[in-house]
Amino acid sequence: MSEATFFVEAPAEGGTSRRGLVLRTLRNQRVALGAALFLAACVLTAILAPWIAPYPLHEQVGPVFGGLSWQHPLGLDDGGIDMVTLLIWGMRVSLVVGFAATFVSMVIGGAVGVVAGYFGGHTDNVLMRITDYFLVIPDVPLMIVVAAIWGPSLFHIIIVIGILLWTSTARVIRAQVKSVRERVYVKRARALGAGHARIVLRHVLPQVAPLLVASTVLTIAVAIFDETALAFLGLSDPSTISLGSIMEHAFERAAISTGAWWAIVPPGVLVTLLILACSLIGGALEDALNPRLRVAHLSARTFRLRPLVGRGKDAL
Amino acid sequence: MPALPAPGAGTVSAPLLQIEDLHVWFDLDGRGELHAVQGVNLSLEPGERLGLVGESGCGKTTTALAIMGLLPSSASASGRILLEGQDILAGGEEAMRPHRWVDIAIVFQGAMNALNPVRTVGQQIVEALELHNRASGAAARRASGELLESVGIPAGRAARYPHELSGGMRQRSAIAMALACDPKVLIADEPTTALDVMVQAQILELLDGLCKEYGLALILVTHDLPVVSQLCNRCAVMYAGEIVERGPLEAIYHTPGHPYSRMLFAASPDLADIDEPVLSIAGAPPRLDRPIEGCPFRPRCDSAFDACGVRPRLEQLAEDHDAACHLNSRVPA
Amino acid sequence: MRGTDYVLKRVFFAIVTVWVALTINFVLFRLAPGTAVTNLSRVPHATQQLRHALEVEFGLDKSKWQQYVIYLKQLAHGNLGISYANQQPVSTNLRIALINTLPMVTVGTAFAIVFGIFTGVIAAWRRRTKTEGLSVSTALAFYAMPTQWLGLMLIIIFAGIFPTAGMTNEFLLNPPFWTHARDLASHMFLPALTLGLTLYGEYTLIVRSAMLETLGEDYILTARAKGLKPRTIVRKHALRNAMLPITTLIALSLGYIVAGAILIESVFSWPGIGRAVYEAVLQRDYPMLQGAFLVLTLSVIFFNLVADLVYFRLDPRITE
Repeated sequence: MSEATFFVEAPAEGGTSRRGLVLRTLRNQRVALGAALFLAACVLTAILAPWIAPYPLHEQVGPVFGGLSWQHPLGLDDGGIDMVTLLIWGMRVSLVVGFAATFVSMVIGGAVGVVAGYFGGHTDNVLMRITDYFLVIPDVPLMIVVAAIWGPSLFHIIIVIGILLWTSTARVIRAQVKSVRERVYVKRARALGAGHARIVLRHVLPQVAPLLVASTVLTIAVAIFDETALAFLGLSDPSTISLGSIMEHAFERAAISTGAWWAIVPPGVLVTLLILACSLIGGALEDALNPRLRVAHLSARTFRLRPLVGRGKDAL
Repeated sequence: MPALPAPGAGTVSAPLLQIEDLHVWFDLDGRGELHAVQGVNLSLEPGERLGLVGESGCGKTTTALAIMGLLPSSASASGRILLEGQDILAGGEEAMRPHRWVDIAIVFQGAMNALNPVRTVGQQIVEALELHNRASGAAARRASGELLESVGIPAGRAARYPHELSGGMRQRSAIAMALACDPKVLIADEPTTALDVMVQAQILELLDGLCKEYGLALILVTHDLPVVSQLCNRCAVMYAGEIVERGPLEAIYHTPGHPYSRMLFAASPDLADIDEPVLSIAGAPPRLDRPIEGCPFRPRCDSAFDACGVRPRLEQLAEDHDAACHLNSRVPA
Repeated sequence: MRGTDYVLKRVFFAIVTVWVALTINFVLFRLAPGTAVTNLSRVPHATQQLRHALEVEFGLDKSKWQQYVIYLKQLAHGNLGISYANQQPVSTNLRIALINTLPMVTVGTAFAIVFGIFTGVIAAWRRRTKTEGLSVSTALAFYAMPTQWLGLMLIIIFAGIFPTAGMTNEFLLNPPFWTHARDLASHMFLPALTLGLTLYGEYTLIVRSAMLETLGEDYILTARAKGLKPRTIVRKHALRNAMLPITTLIALSLGYIVAGAILIESVFSWPGIGRAVYEAVLQRDYPMLQGAFLVLTLSVIFFNLVADLVYFRLDPRITE
């Protein structure tokens, strides 16, 4: 057991700097690297949508629910609009909502986590209680209710999703802040009379940032999922097109009975891939930051035998 | 210090346990291999008490685990482990299993979760008894009570969960469980580390008494020299995956054949003292994921010289006392 | 009984949370902009007199605080208001909807738990093999799929084999029991399968993670050293311990399943509580919406409490 710990703790190239950590993670987990590349490609496509999209977004370019063809590799939707174009623009909105909502939740969650972890005591208790209550509210219904009451607009959707997703970030950050606070250099800074804000900014935040990033990426996955759900229920902004609303239109216009599976399958595949990519990246980051040092004491495969080495056979 | 068994008492039998050229590698998941044990040779007579000593990471625990085949799936091993003449390593995990607990048993560091937290102590001892057909049902429960009594725990405590017992009592329970099937060899891996000083003394006394009473052979794996001196008559010092010195404890203490042993013993001020020795030898052991050039101890050695560029081998210094150091064969200029 | 005070504390906390949930419910729906009067009246340009009369009738002329008290009192009597859509008591509507949802959700969840545990254990056991990679990838894939999309995919695949909408075949009039049962089962198949697959992904990952954690514990090494066979160790030592976090996490997820059923019931037109929420939104049926939301929140609180108590029961280490 001591040997096992030893070899896991052996320093690898790249050292323990934050950048080295990220690079090491992504290099060690090739799947996560693939996911990161995919996500980057999607973001790039979304940004370049106005220039990349092959067909106009609001013009009918063929028959309703037109099938696959060379000009339209993914067919046409219920309005005769090219699916590839729709997907590119739809992805843009979905990603924007996902990132924006996550930004909101990151700000709230990070703030709550830092304050609760740093000040501890009564503040911590109160904030954690509030977090508990937020956790208890089922998110999809609440989002539905709020969207219904306040009207569907992209802004509302972003705020609503953000307000519901901050809790897990808060918890994770709080735990990390608590451990950082106990470190010697922080105590020293306090002893030297440094103000709270200064300590938080200069000492706590840099330590907490990597974990915040990991948590954020994971939240993006959930935000995209939630946006898709809301769009499907008709609560998203009717003037914008997101991947979720593409599916909703298709469903409403009976794409299935018409046999136009291309109106439904591709947007869902794209959403799934986006969510998968974010989950894998976030998971890999978290693994790298909190590496599991355990050796499995039991598994299907057993230790292997090798032929005798024959060195040092000076048995007496 | 316990005396060696008198000559003529159970004599020219083959050694109980013989380890020949044991190597263990750990697969580092794309980063190569860690050569944790590099050619270890050991032998153990019936009733003998051997201390396996070294810093953490030197391979002593891996060696102990290898004896019972408790290596993880990321490990590979080579060599021979002869139990009463029969090679038990050759068949891998499957071949070793029948020997576990009935021939060789092990006690781990008690402070860890070595006992299942959701089952009572008694249940876990009964499990060992029933598995190896020593007893079953009510008879097994009675036997487990007796085993607990023999280590100084009231039989009624069998119904307790591990977390309800103190560290010392947990360790005693683990010892009782280890003895359940009358093994010939008991391996104790850091049995007193992380225990109170007072409790340490009790556990050591207990082990001493039990080994005498049942004629157990003992392999004591530890970094704590006073503990070794209290329980063992022979000692093997490990460094960087290999044995650098072995022999009677007295001999190594008075005439160490390796600078590492010398520094180890010097670092613990008084062997009769039960304070934790601070292994304050400057530097760190070499990385085991790369081949080692020359003597592995060279960077930290105070007596290194040019011959140390070649890796030394274990050579006999005196009757039953070997060491791997070029200093021993240096011809004075 | 061991730890009675622990149980009492958890129950008390649950009750407090219920109260907070009720309050949030009230605040959300009463203080929302423009809801009450305009929608109550359903007459966009009602005269001032009409408005006032309606206000009095619905108690909206009283202060917010008084409204709150009335609201709590009504709840205590199980009165959740009257649905705008069908003029029935909300509680009745919800009861029917809940009765429709539960069987479907139960089947789906049972499937997910059984297969999730099975796959999760195997994935952990066969660590670093292709089996593990495959199980984890599949689980991740199902976990990442939007629920409604998975439902649509299943419809595309199974259209013609299984019914894809509704709970029963309305053309069957007073069918004999077994015909009715078969009809119900065939309608339930796809929605339950959708739920099952979505949850299965999540549960597999949970179980695998818990098992990996457990298999790294030292008592597993002790069990192996004792000479126990691997299967026995997994069954009697690893699984037994891993069930602690597993049951807790599953119990926690149960609270949210009813909410997740909203998407499934929308896709399959299943007349359950999820669809009730959806239709209440479409029709701006605020009493129904408020009532449904309350029920969903209460189910989360309830299952959180269940998770707490189950964990307490399983883990002898918790005494306080």
